[in-house]
Amino acid sequence: MSESVVLRTIGGMLFPYILVYGLYVQMHGEIGPGGGFQAGVLVAAAFILHSLLFGKELTDRLLPTWLVDLSMSLGVLLYIGVGIVGLVKGSYFLDYSVLDPTHPAHAEALGMTLVEAGVGLTVASVILTMVRKVNGEPA
Amino acid sequence: MSDPVLLINVLLLLLAIGAALAAMWTRDLLGAVMLMGIYSLLLAIEWANLFAMDVSYTEAAVGAGASTILLLTALTRTGTREKAGPNFHPTALLTVLVTGAVLIYGTSDLPRFGDPLAPATVHVAPEYITQTVGKVGATEATENDFGDHVPNAVTAVLASYRGYDTMFETAVIFTAGVCVIIILRPLAGSARRRTAGSKEDA
Amino acid sequence: MLEYVADALMILGGFFAFSGSLGILRLPDFYSRLHPSGTSDTLGQLLILGGLSLKVIFDSSGDGLSVGKLVAISLLLFVTTPASTHAISRVAQLSGLKPWTGADSKEADFSQKEEDTNE
Repeated sequence: MSESVVLRTIGGMLFPYILVYGLYVQMHGEIGPGGGFQAGVLVAAAFILHSLLFGKELTDRLLPTWLVDLSMSLGVLLYIGVGIVGLVKGSYFLDYSVLDPTHPAHAEALGMTLVEAGVGLTVASVILTMVRKVNGEPA
Repeated sequence: MSDPVLLINVLLLLLAIGAALAAMWTRDLLGAVMLMGIYSLLLAIEWANLFAMDVSYTEAAVGAGASTILLLTALTRTGTREKAGPNFHPTALLTVLVTGAVLIYGTSDLPRFGDPLAPATVHVAPEYITQTVGKVGATEATENDFGDHVPNAVTAVLASYRGYDTMFETAVIFTAGVCVIIILRPLAGSARRRTAGSKEDA
Repeated sequence: MLEYVADALMILGGFFAFSGSLGILRLPDFYSRLHPSGTSDTLGQLLILGGLSLKVIFDSSGDGLSVGKLVAISLLLFVTTPASTHAISRVAQLSGLKPWTGADSKEADFSQKEEDTNE
């Protein structure tokens, strides 16, 4: 826990805004610059800032290790799941247009959003795990 | 130097090369980590200058953010000065020269960078830019693949046209995370007792 | 008329940023070097981004969203630059770096905690 009041105040003020900005970058990946990778790094950076300022125990209570590990696998599973939905419905792997048979073009955009969400989840979890492990937190 | 944009590009690249050389030269590891952060920042500005916004975003976030944090956290566990050693490694130099020569010779047959007559630029790129590859069946009367929902061409290529590559990239990142967990886990029973015993002896 | 105000603001901001960098090179001691990098750069970016938003407002392609984004960036830098300067100087104080007093006869020793660099 950082003993400086200034740093704890400003860090606590910034933390929600960084998370909101990460969400903005994730959702606007199709309209402007952005996407899954950038948003994942931003969200991980927010939690790293939190752990630097408020101590490892508090951040561990906020975001326990099992949750981070779970979301690491969930991201990859989401991506591959969207692909398998295409297989199940009779088309080829990673065909997004089967998600909405009446509007294939809209379904393609929906598939891309889901896939980018999976990428963002995995990237955020992996970077957070790496920094925590090097800092010496137990499994 | 009649073109000011070219001047800025050359200046940024020279500064980036200078930062990288300085990071290699110094023996103070903390300074080297900071110089790598500066290198990433200069490269992010260069990408933004070339209008590659997605790449600039990722370079700034990963290079000047996550990578610097990871290296600094690793520095807390090791010393902060590089060990003194010989400055000249002949085998390393030979390996780098041979690999570099092979790469340069191998890629010399590729079309020139940005060549308007290359097969990729003539056949593939216009379809990606106008998004009329034809993934969608003929049920909808739109020429567009995505119905104007995806103005960002980079995300369209990344997530839809080259979706397999992104899937394997995600799998690679996941594997890296799993490897970090496996390598840096606490020692198992017998090894922990062994290191604890040696610490008590010393 | 207002374009000249925007240009003047940006040139003034550039002058402050330049003098900040000059101060880092010329000042004698770690703590005194933190002043230009923290304060001077904050004022510099405030003026530069203020001039840019004036330019965007009074240009033909003026867009309220762009001005909002520039104001948000300026606010973020305004909040985080002094906080990071505080963090740096606090760590230096806690690890025992002593400020340079004028009591030394010559110029300050620029590297107060240096080990042997020629190994």
